[in-house]
Amino acid sequence: MKMLHRTLVASALVLATAAPAVQAQTLIVGFTRDADTLDPANHRNRETETIIRNIHDGVVTRSSDMMIHPEIAESFTQVSPTVYDFVIRAGVKFHDGTEMTIDDVKFTFDRLLNEGGMGDGQTSPRGALLGPVESVEIVEGNTLRFTLSEPWPLLPAMLPHQQIVSKAHVEAVGSTALATDPVGTGPFRLAEWRRGESVVMERFDDYYGGAPGIPEAGPACVERVIFQVIPESASRVAALLSGDVHIINELPPFSMNQVANSPNTEVMTVNGTRSFFLAMNNQGDIFDDVRVRHAVAHAIDRDLIIDRILNGTASRIDGILSPDAFGKNHDLPAYEFDPERSRALLAEAGYPDGISVTLDTTGPMRDIAEAIAALLTNAGINTQVQVGEGTLMNQKWQTRGGPKEGDMFLSSWGNSTLDPFDIFGPTHGTDARGNSAGYSNPELDALLDAAAVELDRARRGEMYREAEAMASADLPYVYLWVPQDIYGVSTRLSNWSPSPDSRINLHRACLD
Amino acid sequence: MSVTRLIERLLQLVPVLLGVSVIVFVMMALTPGDPVEIMIGDQLVTPEQEERMRRDLGLDRPMVERYFVFLGNALQFDFGTSFYHRRPVSDVIIERLPATIELTLMAMIIALVTAIPLGVLAAVKKNSIFDRIATVGSLLGVSLPGFWFGILLLMLFAVQLNLLPVAGRVAYEHGVTVRPITHFLLIDSLIQGQFAAFRNALAHIILPAITLGLPMTAILMRVTRTAMLEVLRADYITFAEAKGLNRQRILWRHALKNALIPTVTVAAMETGSLLGGNMIVETVFGWPGLGRLVVESIFVRNYPLVQAAVLLYAVTYVLLNFLADILYTVLNPRVKL
Repeated sequence: MKMLHRTLVASALVLATAAPAVQAQTLIVGFTRDADTLDPANHRNRETETIIRNIHDGVVTRSSDMMIHPEIAESFTQVSPTVYDFVIRAGVKFHDGTEMTIDDVKFTFDRLLNEGGMGDGQTSPRGALLGPVESVEIVEGNTLRFTLSEPWPLLPAMLPHQQIVSKAHVEAVGSTALATDPVGTGPFRLAEWRRGESVVMERFDDYYGGAPGIPEAGPACVERVIFQVIPESASRVAALLSGDVHIINELPPFSMNQVANSPNTEVMTVNGTRSFFLAMNNQGDIFDDVRVRHAVAHAIDRDLIIDRILNGTASRIDGILSPDAFGKNHDLPAYEFDPERSRALLAEAGYPDGISVTLDTTGPMRDIAEAIAALLTNAGINTQVQVGEGTLMNQKWQTRGGPKEGDMFLSSWGNSTLDPFDIFGPTHGTDARGNSAGYSNPELDALLDAAAVELDRARRGEMYREAEAMASADLPYVYLWVPQDIYGVSTRLSNWSPSPDSRINLHRACLD
Repeated sequence: MSVTRLIERLLQLVPVLLGVSVIVFVMMALTPGDPVEIMIGDQLVTPEQEERMRRDLGLDRPMVERYFVFLGNALQFDFGTSFYHRRPVSDVIIERLPATIELTLMAMIIALVTAIPLGVLAAVKKNSIFDRIATVGSLLGVSLPGFWFGILLLMLFAVQLNLLPVAGRVAYEHGVTVRPITHFLLIDSLIQGQFAAFRNALAHIILPAITLGLPMTAILMRVTRTAMLEVLRADYITFAEAKGLNRQRILWRHALKNALIPTVTVAAMETGSLLGGNMIVETVFGWPGLGRLVVESIFVRNYPLVQAAVLLYAVTYVLLNFLADILYTVLNPRVKL
């Protein structure tokens, strides 16, 4: 064995000189997952979109403070409640050197919206992200008109999720080949995609500069960008610490100190957009009583869990919306930690000796579920944790109005636009997709339906604040926190900051 | 071994593969979880669009119909379109296969090259300090979770010593210099004389191969030791010694050849389990192989990809056993197929 050990060390030393020399102008991102495809219209995956977004630009984009900026569009205006006009910029080039025209933009949206628009009878899975958009037509010169079947204030916030492709290229190669051979207008063009290993991009020197509303427009700062796939978080941390990569996503809270204490790396955080909550089965015999639900809320010390398990990297919430979301109600009752109050509420509800319940969750949230179970048990709510695969748990709980078994489910829902529309309705609407609690309140349904199409922004915000107050009183869920997205970065990196929607845009990032 | 017998053995593969295809199809189809639901997650969707996606993926057809369509296509080597990659499953798998095979072979080589000499040595020096250390070492080798051992190696060789890279098969600037011929980077770079790329690829593969090969090394060493001890007690060895033959010659020519039979069996079986071990090692080292792809595909219920990959694993496993059978006849002419 000694000999083996010596051989290993010796071989490692021989290979030492072969360790990759990181070139000054190659920015490498240690990333959790490979792209599924590089066709912007043919996936439903956030990580895939993050990679694609560096190759393709959209009509509009978001800055890291979540503001919407025109990108391929010069400007846009809302003509009527259901009509938006986008003026498309001139002088934008595709990576193959051809000029982008308004026809390409129209083609992109037709491909997304039309049944069978992808060719071979296939329809884009991203069409529904355009909500009630009915048609996209060229009205005059460089103006593209979006016509909606009903008012939808979310349109500008959802448009960054769609990227422009070249009509001529798609027609020449077809949708299947486009998956590996993209031609976009973005700051980087694809150099090589080594499936499962890395996506390598090179600076596109004819780049028009991107959104003028975000400073330092122009071609990208670095010459080459590599998304290196490293699914395991401990290995991503190792790659950052060893200098192999310059940015890593999903840095686990327990590795923050290690990264912060290393002289060449630092931690960057940004408020995320995903709300975590504890769904209680509102249709069950125990949790149909609002007093029991309130008892659960008072039994959980959210600050303690945020502090001890999440290393302080989450913002506590008292309603479903993130503190940064539009329409957030900042005056909701806090349901402070008070186990005595929990016991009193249980007794009042007819359970003087407490209750016994199960708490379902998935593997990654086991620690938190165990902590919550301990706190609940301490307050007379005797809780057993059951861990299951995410898909199975979602199927058990997201029954869309169907009968539901189980008592509690620790889960979350994303809200990448920070607009209440795509989180409030899906989690609180009667029989909605993500309504794990099985909650139903016709009054709240009506309010959410009205808010979805309300065009007066102030009035709309007011409606969501009212909706949050309503939900907070009924408390179908215990609202827990919105975690921060945590990144580890090299100190050589500049001009980059993480974005709340988890995208890693590298157009402006520089390396020393 | 006659050619007819060989063909007969190969034909026996057909019912096995048919059985595997039914099992994998039914298991995937009956596993709870709707691929469309998983794909959409918590993003916006309308019920109509979900229905359309289901139709586009062919999930609206009854299961029996789906099986026969799958089987009919599979016979023509068409395994359908990956739900996620939106490209033919065979393309997606073939892209990832060379990396997995290269890693598996490397792990096997490391295991065989270290395990057999160590096993022989342990047998010869039975009950010595060396034997005891080897015993403890092999126990550790089998028991250490690959996941943990891999991270430990990374912490030491990548972070502390900064000697070896963490993830991938080769650095981009080296990779571009190698034209894919066999798709095995080590071989391609070598035959093209790209020695910098070869060294870089070797630096990338060494840690994952050691991690993957460790349990196999440990098991093979134990098997070789036991088999060797048995053979060394045999009459013909005593006879050889009595004849005054050179000790080394007895050990390596006469004893080892017979002792290798169980080692070959176990090595063939273990190569099958290396394919399983790949999934973990590929995740830890960001290795672009098939194992990781299959695990990810199971989680997201990417039916066509999982079905094709499991069929491929089954074929490989059966062929490896077949190969071991043939090797017996070479090692020991008394054994007949």
